[in-house]
Amino acid sequence: MSGFSFNLLKITDPRFRLGKIIFSRNKHEKILDTPNCFVYTIRGSVPHLTPDNLQTIPADAFGITLEHFLEVQPPSSTYFMGGIHKFLNLEEYPLFFDVRDSEKLQNISFGTDKYVPVVTSHGCRKVTLEEYIRYMNIYNPDIFASMTDLITVKNPGLKRVKKSVDRTLNWLDETLEHTKEGIQVFGVVTGYDKHEERERSAKETANRNVAGFVLNGFDLDMTSKERLDLMKISLKYLPRNKPRGIDIFNTSYPSDMTSLGHALTFLLIEDGIQHRREKFINLWDDKYRTDFKPILDECKCYTCQNHKRAYIHHLLKTHEMLATVLLMSHNLFHYLQFFKTIRKSINLNTFTNTAIQFINMYGSDDNDASNT
Amino acid sequence: MKSALTWEIIAKCSTTKARVGKLILPHGPVDTPVFMPVGTQGTLKGITPKQLEELGCQIMLNNTYHLGLKPGQELLEQIGGSHNFQNWSRNLLTDSGGFQMVSLLKLAKITEQGVEFQSPHDDGSTMLLTPEHSISLQNSIGADIIMQLDDVVSSLTTGKRVEEAMYRSIRWLDRCISVHKKTDSQNLFAIIQGGLDPNLRKKCVEEMVLRDTPGYAIGGLSGGEEKDTFWKIVTLCTDLLPKSKPIYCMGVGYTEDLVVCSALGVDMYDCVFPTRTARFGNALTSKGSLNLRSVKFSNDFQPIEKDCDCVACKSYTRSFIHLQATKETVGCHLITLHNVAYQLRLMRNIRQAIIEDRFPSFVKQIFKDLFGDNEKYPVWAVNALKSVNVDLLSEK
Repeated sequence: MSGFSFNLLKITDPRFRLGKIIFSRNKHEKILDTPNCFVYTIRGSVPHLTPDNLQTIPADAFGITLEHFLEVQPPSSTYFMGGIHKFLNLEEYPLFFDVRDSEKLQNISFGTDKYVPVVTSHGCRKVTLEEYIRYMNIYNPDIFASMTDLITVKNPGLKRVKKSVDRTLNWLDETLEHTKEGIQVFGVVTGYDKHEERERSAKETANRNVAGFVLNGFDLDMTSKERLDLMKISLKYLPRNKPRGIDIFNTSYPSDMTSLGHALTFLLIEDGIQHRREKFINLWDDKYRTDFKPILDECKCYTCQNHKRAYIHHLLKTHEMLATVLLMSHNLFHYLQFFKTIRKSINLNTFTNTAIQFINMYGSDDNDASNT
Repeated sequence: MKSALTWEIIAKCSTTKARVGKLILPHGPVDTPVFMPVGTQGTLKGITPKQLEELGCQIMLNNTYHLGLKPGQELLEQIGGSHNFQNWSRNLLTDSGGFQMVSLLKLAKITEQGVEFQSPHDDGSTMLLTPEHSISLQNSIGADIIMQLDDVVSSLTTGKRVEEAMYRSIRWLDRCISVHKKTDSQNLFAIIQGGLDPNLRKKCVEEMVLRDTPGYAIGGLSGGEEKDTFWKIVTLCTDLLPKSKPIYCMGVGYTEDLVVCSALGVDMYDCVFPTRTARFGNALTSKGSLNLRSVKFSNDFQPIEKDCDCVACKSYTRSFIHLQATKETVGCHLITLHNVAYQLRLMRNIRQAIIEDRFPSFVKQIFKDLFGDNEKYPVWAVNALKSVNVDLLSEK
């Protein structure tokens, strides 16, 4: 027995929505409150965090990328009989699969009607639609995104975009036909910067029997405003009663910040945006050498409860791996708190004001968070 | 001299010289024989202090030379020592810094005053590590056990230099003792030198025992000497040293070495091997080491070691760890966690076998698991164990 339901709990003015996705399998329920994010993973684990350290972080769901497992085909994990949740030791969580790592897209050769190209540490590989569906049926994830004809060149022509929309829709039809019952398929809405194609992609995808939608097809160097405008076109044609991309986000932002030695410090909405605080601090900076405070005094993460800025600075300077462990623990914790406070604020009808304050303080036009 | 520890032997093997002890240090108890993982720069390779505590680790090493460079003595003083700096509430041991100078640095020159070496700051200047400076640094770091600066020579060196180094180590011990300020919270251990020469070792033990330090280390070994010479020096030292003090054999960490040296009466060990080899994807098991980078593990859905209760073995298959090994830091952390768990479990099993007075049969089982065929047993280990009445090759 398995099931999937999306319940809209609240829609506030003008467009904020609070939802709850319930995944049920074998009498076991997993709940995902939205807005939320799928925690970014590489090769099926959160960068730097072993399961015991991950347990200190209130993660709700994970995004897994097939591309990371395709050095050998079929991936060794497809021979594991217990399903992908058990293989990855993530049995308690909803898992969302996609083919490509949308955070690290590299410009590679074109695909065809039959396959998409992927990048692995052993070079380029290709994966066909039939293989993708077969792997998903073996893995048994909670949700996966249907295969997408991604365009990785800048400013694609109308013809190319049309082909991308067509292929993606055709693949979606085949996917819906061949996917095992109980696995939810999210249709991918694309169309790049061609308004009429965005509209067509959204309308056609909405006509299919999908569980939800992934918004895709944004150029990596678009401004947030351009991206937002295109997003609005897609959203207009998507039914409100299904998760639509603005409900769940997929981003490697916390781990990218970790790689840079940055610790997130931006104010959470529940703090109220009265005083100023930096968006992040760079712990490589020598001014932290003798800073014996935690990253954030009030933060409840393992790192802030146990370690000081000076120690993390020392770990960075000495190239010790514990630096990224502690930074990732904090950054991911802080980032998930951010979503939690957004949900709280929508629920209290205070989101409109605080969001404006937040954007005024931290700017709206940077590209370090992207949406799926 | 004054001591900030108590040590009680709670069980002795009736066949070999092995013993189980309870060492009480300023930051809590340590059960011996003990393996001490090495956290060189105030951190054990990607493992949090909490994880290390959960593994049951009671004492870890820090290296004085590295901590002296970064974060530096002044900062360590300011924050109240290395325990506070890294948030480790259990015991620490620091080395003197001398070994790193000789092994890591080119053109180190040893004079009566101390070890003169080229500054790592790459400005052409030279620096001098004296016994006084080493103790001052170690006092600032604040470890529960600190080591004297000794005159380290390669274990392959022969002749006058070995004798000179031995006598100088005694003189340096005296200088260390006279400047050691924190005798109520830090235990200074002497280091027995004398190369591979039994007479020099004997002389060194005699002199150092007169200084009555809280414990003793056997130094100048594990440097590429014949293993048959190595164990003879170890057993000579454990025979000569007082039974009432813990004995620490520096730089020992392979399974067979730990088992043999424990049979010879050694109580403490340290080695970078388990954590270093983890970073190359090697996981330790009772049947030997597994290189998890190898494709042969890609479809192997067993845990690294059956019955191991570490996070890696409880959570993942070899196949999953193979995907991560040497590619993602998580792979390295998982194997490190496992290897430390393996070492600590080995020591726990050694202690349990001694307490239940079945150590000889335990030793035989360890060798059987590790080497399989008894023709593959290392000859030196067979000889060493024979010297303490355990015949590895007999069927019994």
